[in-house]
Amino acid sequence: MHNIPTVFLIDDDTDDQEIFSLAMEKANQQVQCVFADDGIHALEKLKTDTAFRPDFIFIDMNMPRMNGQQCLTEIKKIDRLRDVPVYMYSTSADPESLEENKRLGASDFIVKPSSITELTDILSQILHKHLVAVLMVLFLISAQPLQLLSQNDIAPVRELKKLTVEELMNIVVTSVSKTPENLSEVASAIQVVTGNDLRRSTSVRLAEALRLAPNLQVTQSGSHDWGISARGFNGAPVASSSLADKLLVMIDGRTVYTPLFGGVYWDVQNVLIEDIDRLEVVSGPGGTLWGSNAVNGVVNVITKSADETQGLYLSGAFGSLVKGHIAARYGSQVDSSLFFRIYGQRFDFDNTLLANGDDAHDDWHLTQGGFRMDYYPSDKNTITIQGELYGGVEDDTLSTTVNGQHVLARWTHAYSETSGLVVQSYLERTWREISNNPFTDELTTIDLDLQYSFPLGESNQLLAGIGMRTQDDQTTSFDNRFDPQNRTLNLVSGFIQDQITLVPNRFNLTIGSKFLYNNYTELEVQPSARLAWTPNETHTLWAAVSNAVRTPSRFDVDLSTFYALAPEFRSEEVIAYEAGYRIRPFNLVSFSLAAFYNQYDDLRSLNTSNDTLAPFYFGNDLKGNTYGFEISGTLVPGDWWRLRGGYTFLEKEFEIKAANVFPGTELLEGIDPRHQFLVQSIMDISKRFQIDVVGRIIGKLPAAAITQTPEIPSYVTFNARLAYVFNKVTFILAGQNLAQPDHIEFGTRRIPRSIYGKIEVRL
Amino acid sequence: MARPGLILTALFLFGSLSFQAQTLTSVEYKVKAVFIYNFIHFIDWPQSTYEYSYDEFVIGIIGGDPFGTYIDEAVAGERIKSHRIKVQRYKSVEEIKKCHILFINTHDPEETKKILDFTAKRHILTVSDTPNFIRWGGMVRFFTVEDKIRLEINNTLARARELKISSKLLRVAIVQ
Repeated sequence: MHNIPTVFLIDDDTDDQEIFSLAMEKANQQVQCVFADDGIHALEKLKTDTAFRPDFIFIDMNMPRMNGQQCLTEIKKIDRLRDVPVYMYSTSADPESLEENKRLGASDFIVKPSSITELTDILSQILHKHLVAVLMVLFLISAQPLQLLSQNDIAPVRELKKLTVEELMNIVVTSVSKTPENLSEVASAIQVVTGNDLRRSTSVRLAEALRLAPNLQVTQSGSHDWGISARGFNGAPVASSSLADKLLVMIDGRTVYTPLFGGVYWDVQNVLIEDIDRLEVVSGPGGTLWGSNAVNGVVNVITKSADETQGLYLSGAFGSLVKGHIAARYGSQVDSSLFFRIYGQRFDFDNTLLANGDDAHDDWHLTQGGFRMDYYPSDKNTITIQGELYGGVEDDTLSTTVNGQHVLARWTHAYSETSGLVVQSYLERTWREISNNPFTDELTTIDLDLQYSFPLGESNQLLAGIGMRTQDDQTTSFDNRFDPQNRTLNLVSGFIQDQITLVPNRFNLTIGSKFLYNNYTELEVQPSARLAWTPNETHTLWAAVSNAVRTPSRFDVDLSTFYALAPEFRSEEVIAYEAGYRIRPFNLVSFSLAAFYNQYDDLRSLNTSNDTLAPFYFGNDLKGNTYGFEISGTLVPGDWWRLRGGYTFLEKEFEIKAANVFPGTELLEGIDPRHQFLVQSIMDISKRFQIDVVGRIIGKLPAAAITQTPEIPSYVTFNARLAYVFNKVTFILAGQNLAQPDHIEFGTRRIPRSIYGKIEVRL
Repeated sequence: MARPGLILTALFLFGSLSFQAQTLTSVEYKVKAVFIYNFIHFIDWPQSTYEYSYDEFVIGIIGGDPFGTYIDEAVAGERIKSHRIKVQRYKSVEEIKKCHILFINTHDPEETKKILDFTAKRHILTVSDTPNFIRWGGMVRFFTVEDKIRLEINNTLARARELKISSKLLRVAIVQ
């Protein structure tokens, strides 16, 4: 922050120093004063501290050891200070010494005034002469009224000093961009949703919380079913999910997409919204650092550590679609280095509607419980252990029983500030049973990852990792839907990345590659390069080229009902060209633009065969390009009001590579809107009252004959939240999808307008 | 496969590389600077820390200055009793002479220990935002909960060094 002018006063009299600083404060409070007790001290400081370049220098004419004029002469000899205006002052003006001062390079002479007011006036004039431009800028930035319930920007230091300690503790100090940024992330289309943004939305579940990331397409296709994707390819809706298979989703380090079809069962991915630290959503290939599914994006759900979730939290919500949601968390510490939390929640969701307005009978409930422990055994080590179990029943035309358990341990060791090791392992089991069309799927996963980072020379920071995963997937079905029924999938992956500082603070290049060895396609190499240019602290320009693959899933290779097996199915591939610009002119405003051009090849296609028993098979006969851009921004009009949002534009073109490709196959792969707009408003009406709104405009979705879904018209809708904070209790009234009685987002079901009331207690 | 663990490590390990983060966290350090200014008024140092009535009250910063000019702004023209308040920035422990509050800006445990060893025989209030600071033997730690600044204070240690921390401050802090 170099826009606060510095004044250097050289005076042996401490009272004069005091008067001077008082006057200076009155003249212009945004000035920083630095003092030296005499000429010798002053020169010592100016010569040794070469970063110190005051904007003005004031010198007392009469000082012991070295008089003012000698001091002036010496200062003018220092190159970097040659242009700094120097003012001499004394109790009396002697015409001869005035001339001498001018000759030596002093800007002016001041007669030491008798009152502070007089001095203030003189200083104001001097400062004013030089500072008009600076002051204009300062005014724009700092003339914001002080508000305690601030979001992003806060008052100048002198205003903060008037606050009590309690009030200081109420200032929100972190902002969107405070989120961990390493250089490779700076050069990507990352968008972050903070825990506070989530808690100020009406989100009850993780899937709907992801709506707050404007670079994701989030669609609800039924009471428990969601389809979520980035940059297109939100595949056709299927039971409890969609065929979207190009997104890598991780919750606290655990990869949650299923090898059954490469997508995510969103119904069973739940976390306590209260304990989420942040959501990091990267659109575009995270190819280098992240795993095989990160073709179009990475979603990282990060919960708070146990030491950040101490105390008791209780909440109960009751309403129409959210029939009931109760949650409890308790966090405590065993000793000063061992923290834990336990939590549980239960959801009861009501039915959505069929296209004709009838009840869809898809109500469901799910109960979940878990724990997290963070242990800091020594200075350089952190150990985290967390685990969870859940179970639920989902009614539908085909009703489903789900349950799952997992436990994860992670050890982080720092060798030094720049080198360290992370070892992580988890064990997970998930179960899904469709009862009236018998199908079961039991997936057991064992995963081990190691990452090591270390500097190489002055300007290279290397990061390398290796991971091993074994997944045992066992299905049963009356029609042998998957052939073979059971498969054990082994995945070995490694990556290496180098962050190269080309010009310190300015140019950074990140190059790396991911290596992946899987059962279906064996070795896959996914290189990428990212360049970031930071001309100054407010601007970042970046560009990247990456190659990423979506390796086959069991759905592609083993599906046997009406389908010929496709053992030759290859990985889908993308080469992504991205460029972006991020600006944060000051704390009140941030803005980011990311544009992309993706070239896909070997995309999945539905092909027809001559075999009447298996008339279809999956081929790799589709190629295509997508292009578009994502704009996002944050604006804080007043410290009591925070606005964030974004717009996403997407265009797609496809080409089939074989004559037997079933027409419209690209719509099985993705049904996406061209336009998408989101805005979130978080407003503190008073210290106790909060009014929050999330509005969204989603463009129309094309009709897809292949999945028998009609065109879905564009829609505008909004969620609203009213809250009253009464000490430790918060009363909330929330409404979701309020703009119309119901609307269709994906597939054929209508999502009704809904409301719920909620009480939260934090002790 | 890469993991959030990786991002956490990246944050932790590449702290020195993330130039951007520094400017973006300036709001945080603006508030922390004012907290430190408040400590001067909420804590009593033994009279023996001053030789003369005109001796300065010294706020020291060691291990790189995250505050920019905020601390200087916070204490500009301020006095505590007869003592002017001065901010000093140290490159190494050896440079510390007289100091009342020492902000330690390093996450390296060895270095922190070295600095804390130096303060052990003196009446210095040690402050940091390193996660393990209290466990390492520091007195006041800043941390962030729900985007707001919180304090953790080892009052036993402070009392042992004859620093009297006002109940007003202790009331809003987590006291060990």
